[in-house]
Amino acid sequence: MTERAGYTVTMFLVDVSPSMGKMREVEIPLPNGEVQIAEMTNLEWALQFVKLKVQEMIYHERKTDQCGILLFGSSNTDNHVSRTQGGYDHIEELMPIAHPTANVITQISAVTPSTEIGDPLDALVVGIETQDNYLGKKKWTRRMVLLTDAENPIEIQHLDRISQRLNELKIRLTVIGIDFDDEEVDYVEEDKSDIKRENEEFYHSFVDTLDNGVVGNCAVAIEEISRPEAKQTKSQPSASVLRLGDAENHPEEAFEINVKICKCTALVRPKSFKKFAKISEDVEMRDPDDDEEPTVEYGQLNREIRYSYDPTERPDDEDAEEDDDDKKKGEPQDVEKEELVRGYKYGTSFVPVPENNFPKLETKRGMEICGFFKEQYFRREWCIDEVRYVFAAEKSPLQQVALSSLVDAMYQKTETQKEITYYAVTRWVTTEGSEPKMGVLKPMKDDMDNSYFLWVQMPFADDLRKWTFPSLDHLISSKGETVTKHPYIPTERQLEAMEELVDALDLMEAGEKDEDGNRTPWYDTRLSYNPAVHRIKQAQFHAAIVEDLNKQPLPPPHPELLKYFEPPRRVLKHARLAIDAAREAFGVKEVPKTVGRGRKDGHVRARDDGDEMLLLDKQPAKRIKLSQTQSQHVFRSQHRRVSPPTQRKAPKRALSDDSDTEPEPEPEPQDDDDLLLDTTPAVKPEPRAKPEPAEAGVPPTPSSRSPTPERDRAPGRIIGTTHPLAEFYANTASGDLVSKAVEDLAFVVRTVVFKPFTTRRTDEMLECVRALRRVCLEEDEVDAWNQFLRDLKRRCLDDDPGNEYFWSKLSDLGRDVSLISASEAQRQGGRSDVSDAEADKFLTTGMAE
Amino acid sequence: MAAYDEWNRIDEDDDDELQDGAVFEGKRDVILFAIDCSDSMHAMHDDPMYEDVQTSHVLTALEAAIQVQKKKVFTGPNDAVGIMLFNTARTGESIGQGVEIKAGNFLYQPIETISAPKVQELIQLVEAARADPNYLRETFPPLQGNRVAMGDVFTSCNWIMRDGAPKTATKRVFLLTDEDNPHSGPGKDRLTTAARTTLVDLVQAGIVVEPFFISTDEKPFDVSRFYSSVLLPTNIIDDDEEAGVLPEALSITRIEDLLDQMKFREVPKRALFSVPFQLAENLVIGVKGYGLVTVQKKGVYKYFVDLGDRMELAESRTVWLQRGGKEVPKDALLSGMGLGEAAQGKKTQDHIDEEGGVTRVTAAGSKTFYTADEIRSFRTLGLEPQIKLLGFKDPDTLAFEDNVKHSYFIYPDEMAYSGSKRTFSALLKTMEKKKKIGLVLALMRRNATPVFCAMLPQAEQRTEEGIQTEPPGMHLIPLPFADDMRAVPEQFLDAERAPQDLTKKAALFVARLAVKGGYSPDSYPNPALEFHNAQLQASAFREEFDPETFEDLSLPKYDMIHERVGSMMKEWKEALLQDESATVVVAPTTSNRRKAKTEPGAASTSEAEVRRLYENSDLDKLKLDQLKDYLRSKGLSVTGKKADLVDRVSEWLDNHSG
Repeated sequence: MTERAGYTVTMFLVDVSPSMGKMREVEIPLPNGEVQIAEMTNLEWALQFVKLKVQEMIYHERKTDQCGILLFGSSNTDNHVSRTQGGYDHIEELMPIAHPTANVITQISAVTPSTEIGDPLDALVVGIETQDNYLGKKKWTRRMVLLTDAENPIEIQHLDRISQRLNELKIRLTVIGIDFDDEEVDYVEEDKSDIKRENEEFYHSFVDTLDNGVVGNCAVAIEEISRPEAKQTKSQPSASVLRLGDAENHPEEAFEINVKICKCTALVRPKSFKKFAKISEDVEMRDPDDDEEPTVEYGQLNREIRYSYDPTERPDDEDAEEDDDDKKKGEPQDVEKEELVRGYKYGTSFVPVPENNFPKLETKRGMEICGFFKEQYFRREWCIDEVRYVFAAEKSPLQQVALSSLVDAMYQKTETQKEITYYAVTRWVTTEGSEPKMGVLKPMKDDMDNSYFLWVQMPFADDLRKWTFPSLDHLISSKGETVTKHPYIPTERQLEAMEELVDALDLMEAGEKDEDGNRTPWYDTRLSYNPAVHRIKQAQFHAAIVEDLNKQPLPPPHPELLKYFEPPRRVLKHARLAIDAAREAFGVKEVPKTVGRGRKDGHVRARDDGDEMLLLDKQPAKRIKLSQTQSQHVFRSQHRRVSPPTQRKAPKRALSDDSDTEPEPEPEPQDDDDLLLDTTPAVKPEPRAKPEPAEAGVPPTPSSRSPTPERDRAPGRIIGTTHPLAEFYANTASGDLVSKAVEDLAFVVRTVVFKPFTTRRTDEMLECVRALRRVCLEEDEVDAWNQFLRDLKRRCLDDDPGNEYFWSKLSDLGRDVSLISASEAQRQGGRSDVSDAEADKFLTTGMAE
Repeated sequence: MAAYDEWNRIDEDDDDELQDGAVFEGKRDVILFAIDCSDSMHAMHDDPMYEDVQTSHVLTALEAAIQVQKKKVFTGPNDAVGIMLFNTARTGESIGQGVEIKAGNFLYQPIETISAPKVQELIQLVEAARADPNYLRETFPPLQGNRVAMGDVFTSCNWIMRDGAPKTATKRVFLLTDEDNPHSGPGKDRLTTAARTTLVDLVQAGIVVEPFFISTDEKPFDVSRFYSSVLLPTNIIDDDEEAGVLPEALSITRIEDLLDQMKFREVPKRALFSVPFQLAENLVIGVKGYGLVTVQKKGVYKYFVDLGDRMELAESRTVWLQRGGKEVPKDALLSGMGLGEAAQGKKTQDHIDEEGGVTRVTAAGSKTFYTADEIRSFRTLGLEPQIKLLGFKDPDTLAFEDNVKHSYFIYPDEMAYSGSKRTFSALLKTMEKKKKIGLVLALMRRNATPVFCAMLPQAEQRTEEGIQTEPPGMHLIPLPFADDMRAVPEQFLDAERAPQDLTKKAALFVARLAVKGGYSPDSYPNPALEFHNAQLQASAFREEFDPETFEDLSLPKYDMIHERVGSMMKEWKEALLQDESATVVVAPTTSNRRKAKTEPGAASTSEAEVRRLYENSDLDKLKLDQLKDYLRSKGLSVTGKKADLVDRVSEWLDNHSG
């Protein structure tokens, strides 16, 4: 269907007889997919086709793609033939042959039905002669498009001579008829007038006498023309040399083949829009007597690069310079480009650009073969940029034989008849002195036995990022053991589900059937049009054709652009079960978006080791920012607090105790939310456990329904700093979150204690510490407590800033808040490796051990 | 001249290619070297590279720091580096940053944006150390007796980073040590715990520790003795740039590999995009995309204001101006066809004035332009950023020529969708097993355009030591559209073909020149880039640059080629020149250009004939057309008088003897 564009003159012959003024209803698809019915004349409708064609020519800016427009049935007579020999009345040349400008669109839009009747054959004769007169001996492609409703009599004369002339000049004639019957789309016009029926038959029999002629229906033609079509571009080959060996120093033992290199792929980008802005809505300018509608004036804008600098003196202090946030930017001051000095940055050092810049590396034009390698080692994912063809220079048999022998030599057979294909590592310098690129040459032999190379760029050492990524299968626990069961590792069942899915979504036989009735693979690059390029083109055309985008919005994209946006329906239908099974097996859950991560001050105090791991993948605390989900959580969590209280005991460091994702996701998807659900205690109406008598000194616990309950909580924490004790009780009461609660309360204590100005919370924190210890003792979290206390002590006494005051207050509480000793733990059925003696003196000794 | 302006002028909505790099530009990278200066690190040993040269681990580490700085200055001119030494008795004379750090640690270079004087300072240090083997030991005397607690090292790193690094930067500590058990004495547990907690502090502050453990035969390094319990088993912790994470693999490396290892880590790992990956309806996982193959270009020059005492960088910005120079705010911009190209109706008129200013007057309330949002929706076709699986195909359906740009690498993002890893992992395994590649539709960023990509699975590969050589993930290869593909130009079809015996002769040298493995990027540093950077560096250091010292490693190894296959090529060439089809006279074509028909074999490119005439100084016997054809075949200019052409041919033959 596509032909080489350019070097073409297309004549449009448009019927403007009164019958063309008949109104019709045209469906206009709206952006929302609905269809709007618009009324227009047959002429306006037919002219849509002409406009689209002309637009295409303007758009592609190909000066050798030209057209001329003749109107027949016009009240004026002005055409090439009438001017030279008279006759041929009512034929008006709207546009002489030229490459169209946008103004032509305006002219076309202004065409209205006339009061005269024109003769299409006369128009054809004028078209042929005008075109031939223009082209003379040029061997351009000649096209003729005749648009008519065929409602008027045709004076059939000299028909033989006309068709003979059309064939002689190799003119391609297309007759586009308003509501012509069309077998291909099964269209038959009802109530067709007799004269039209006759005329249609005439057109059909007429084009049959032509070498190149068709009759078509206008609706089909308009549909067809709005299909995306790739712009055909001819690659411009450039001469080069393919070299092996050092041709200068070893001329006898090296060779150079003259080659031509041109693009095999070339990335096409959407055409850009021009920029405008409203200049004025001036009402004053208007004549008060003018009763026209108010107008708005828009101006096209020019782009300019402006330069400015910060004139404020930088402080000498390096800190200030480094710290982006604190840097006070002065009012930038604009500066003319002429006053600027060109330079490179070498870190903070300024390096002036020498005159003519730095000398470039001297390079010799050509492709140098560095070596060969076997196809199996080719890394497809390394390919950079567009692909090139490399041919032997045309009309040079010697070069062609040489290149062909090299191509053939790169397809080899081993003694066992195994085929090996070699690629060549190649260094390419496009023009003398330009920067070299590395790449590979692949030998090609097409069906017609044509030999050539394809070349694609490969990365330099500098272009490849050798980043490492966490292994997906090889997981190690903190104890250094290899983990085989983990939420990150798919289970057998999940692997099976995936296999089913991959099989079900196979596209190898999901495409159209070929001539032999075999199904072909679905998706073909040669048929996939760049949707952005064609959509933007459509938008640009549309804006050029219509006067008001509000009244005639851009129709939806052509279906051809979206045909590969969904897997084929047939495949999806068959894959339904596999998809459902996979969805269920994998139980993937979206983690709600968060507003940045909670890194507040750049050096947050340490938390219990290992807790990072526990929640890195999820940040439940943030979840509750969505108030809707929040209420759901509350609702659900009441159902779910049935797990055994001893579920999680050990500190969360061990991988096996990973609780962020379910090791083996259950069918019901809520399970993944398990932890998340339970992490929203702040919204519970009341702490579940009442303060015990011993806690008489507990500060009044405000209702947990504080207005911003979640704001004080660090990511992943179930206990915030505002009402830690209440939240701690709430969480430990239910039993299944004890470890987490212990860990988080410890975190909160440390956070608060080491914040400045928190002495007013000392009593509260001491209470927290006591509560923490009691729970640790009762719930077998002895290690966690001892670790916490040691850490607390170290930080209080050793760190800077520490909190010696807090530690002394804590020591005052005595042995009851010290380390949990082995004997004490034993009484509660737990274990500890701390001796009584150590526990006794722990609070009172200093840090240096 | 135009390079920089052109680069700037690329419209933000016109070019998504540019954004690959631009994504990185906002973020700075900060590296703090933490180098162990204990006795064993100072111990001298033979240099593995050079004979009769002694070196120490500290020296090598400092050399590595120089290399990293030198490279970084080009890849990220705003990046900052600092050097801290630990286990040294040298105490901190105030270095300017006012950082108090723990005893036994010494801040040699505070964190600063890399500059020529700083690199030179380091170079001088290393040169002094090379001249005098005791120099480093004297400058940074090892701490005697106890080692510094690792917790203190981490705390010091934290403080240095806090004071020196911008908040938004990616922050990394390169830890170099050969001691696998720093706390062997009493209090081991406590010190280990302290190290662990302080390390968590670092992580909390968004700092990544990348260990470079030096293992030698005499002093093997066993991570399990201390580090594996301190550096958490990180490969179960997800990497998230925001949070900062612990290293992914414990790198145990011999000192020789140190530089190589650092090279890989020179550029911090940053994702280009983070999007949902839809495998099927309601089966969506999260993935992050990375550019593992990204062309490293020369830095462009910038414009500076000379303020007398200093050079200040001038920021450039694009502005849109009305006639008369009034700046239009970005949000008031409208897009449309060029003026004069739009419909000219009753109410719409375009005007062009004498100065070329153009305006359009339309009825108030009618719309002839598109808004920025509309333009974006045209580009994206209404898609949100995502990758959508369309199905699976056989690997051979991905043709060699289906390439227009570099590939992307995707890796699951558990932070966006829990369960992403297991799903992705299962997909990867299945595709590997069934030998399938995927076909996806991808919109990688909000402002990008949709592309179809082939999705190639890549299984993880590790060395015996457990060092990852290929990461697990998938490569996305953007496929060309029909619009991007070009056919073979007709004039190259039906070329002459080689006979079998000639091909056999060529096959000999092809096989002889075959290298093991495939194309190896490591062998080819970009010579033009290095050449430019070497000059830039010399200029920054105020040194002379000697181009003679520059070696272009991308050139073929001529000596090797001629030694191996020189004679084979000679035989092939001789056979070629005798081949009949090669000496066929090209029939004149219908084209206006006349062919030389005077002598046998003198097609436009009869090399031998031209050369013979040249050697006899008879080039002027050739006709003008023949000279032109010959020049054209070499890609040279064909303009000028006959004498010019003869000169040009002679010149070419002078330079191409044979």
